[in-house]
Amino acid sequence: MRSGPGRSAAHGLIPFLVAAGHREADLDEIIRVENLSKTFRTPFRRKRVDAVSNVSFVVRRGEIFGFLGPNGAGKTTTIKMLTGLIQPTAGTVSMLGGGPADLSVRARIGFLPEQPYFYDYLTPVELLDVFGRIFGIPARIRKERIESLLTQVGLFEARNRTLRKFSKGMLQRTGIAQALLNDPELVILDEPLSGLDPVGRKEVNDLIATLRQQGKTIFFSSHILADIERLCDRVVILDRGVTKAAGTLSELLTSDSGEREILAGGITDVSGLNGLDGVVRCETYGTDAVRIVCESAASDRLVGTLLKAGGTILGVNDRRISLEQLFVSRTIREKSCPATDNEGEVRGVSE
Amino acid sequence: MKNGLADSIRRTFAIARNTVLEAIRNRAFLGMGIAAFGLVVSSIALSSLAVRDQAERVLVDFGLAATSLMEIVIAITMGVILVFKEIDRKTFYLVLPKPIRRSEVIAGKFVGLLGVLGASLLLMAAGWLISLQVKGISIPAGVPQALLLVWAQAALITSVAIFFSSFASPVLSGVFTFGVFMVGSSVTVLQELMQARKGMLATPGPARLIAEGAVAVFPDLSVFNVGKELILRIPVTWEYVGASMLYCGFYCLFFLAIGALVFQRRDFS
Repeated sequence: MRSGPGRSAAHGLIPFLVAAGHREADLDEIIRVENLSKTFRTPFRRKRVDAVSNVSFVVRRGEIFGFLGPNGAGKTTTIKMLTGLIQPTAGTVSMLGGGPADLSVRARIGFLPEQPYFYDYLTPVELLDVFGRIFGIPARIRKERIESLLTQVGLFEARNRTLRKFSKGMLQRTGIAQALLNDPELVILDEPLSGLDPVGRKEVNDLIATLRQQGKTIFFSSHILADIERLCDRVVILDRGVTKAAGTLSELLTSDSGEREILAGGITDVSGLNGLDGVVRCETYGTDAVRIVCESAASDRLVGTLLKAGGTILGVNDRRISLEQLFVSRTIREKSCPATDNEGEVRGVSE
Repeated sequence: MKNGLADSIRRTFAIARNTVLEAIRNRAFLGMGIAAFGLVVSSIALSSLAVRDQAERVLVDFGLAATSLMEIVIAITMGVILVFKEIDRKTFYLVLPKPIRRSEVIAGKFVGLLGVLGASLLLMAAGWLISLQVKGISIPAGVPQALLLVWAQAALITSVAIFFSSFASPVLSGVFTFGVFMVGSSVTVLQELMQARKGMLATPGPARLIAEGAVAVFPDLSVFNVGKELILRIPVTWEYVGASMLYCGFYCLFFLAIGALVFQRRDFS
């Protein structure tokens, strides 16, 4: 079938991709990770250490994707597999239509490693120049972009100082500048907020928000929950190499509570409600309303009871928990019984 | 394809440029300058101690040998450290996810180190030639050829050092590379011993087998030593230099290719 006038080549390609077994939504996928695993062997005893086990997720175009987990969860190991620094033991990584080893894919990715290490004998301008040459950015554009990026991350004044004289926060900003040098479609940031003071954190948060406005996809790992909750559209929570939760924040934070909140008018006496089956707690709300927190399964029955008692239902909502509560419930509560693999060895290594 | 090659060269030279910059910033050239000055002073002092009429011989022989040795020291020390340092300091975490092949990183390091070796060779050669001038000795005709061969030998040893450093620690890489240098420098001697009528290597046995293996595998570094020709004022032809460079190029490619292959499969965990 020939494309008609005015149809783009990509548009004409969609039916073909669908026919070939691809879902149309795949075109919006920036990263697809399927059953990714990495097993290390200890140096002498050759014991298996499963750093990452069967992790799967999809990152879509234009979203901020949070990769969450305590220290040693396998976040950095997963990111290293995404960036080609280590090879997976099993599973696949597909990014921007290719694999981590494809140079054309890497040219469209910006990466900030955790606690980045630099050539400390270089100035930030020289460092960005080296990387700009690797990216093949023409000299004039390279110069302009370096100046613009250093201004953006607040390092323009320090541009001629060698990196060995930089503070930790300044180095982190240099790392962010180099991650954005090639104007990437996908930005992978491993703990971008570590080492930054509150002002620096706010600036980086603002920068991430700006990048999203520019249409970039951001994949970032962190254990600073407030920042993840504020910035991310979707998250994966990883613990000891295993996915503990995945989805949009609203899905995760509401579904995980297992509770609903009923707001009912025309009822002021809460004493009788507290004893009802399924009610978690009950309190007055304003002058003639009550707020009842109940188990999700009991909400329909309670609504009926309230209506019979002459009340009016002002609203029924799934109760949201905080990301911190979700994180704690999915990770810390299982610390006392560590996950084991088939050979009975403890999962997870330090990152 | 043409663009692919140009891109590959561009990326290789970006790494090479950084390697040279690192040597400059870490004051490696200051050390080389001091070594060159030391060469001038020690050459003049040694020639004063030489038996009459032997001053020229001492100056020419010592100067070339010292330059060659200095180049080998730089090649081994910098060669074994270059890759390891990037792994140890995790600076590769920033470089390798960029659109660059790991083989290009290895090649870039090698080319950069060739630049450093070339610059240090010029410094040392200047010191050597100054000492000849001070003593009123005419500069032998084959000096440019001899210096080029010294550089080629250092290049070969650099490739060996980079090969070992792609999988071993700096100390082990240094020991292995020095081993290759020692065996490579002794290939001619081994050949002579195997052709002799008597001796352990003259008769079939394990020792002869090992020696035959060493001669077949290790580069013959005597190819790059034209000290005798220089002293005796025997011309060193450019054809000989060209053939030696080809020989050097083959071994460099061999060691770098294996090094790149090992480096390619390496995990940076």
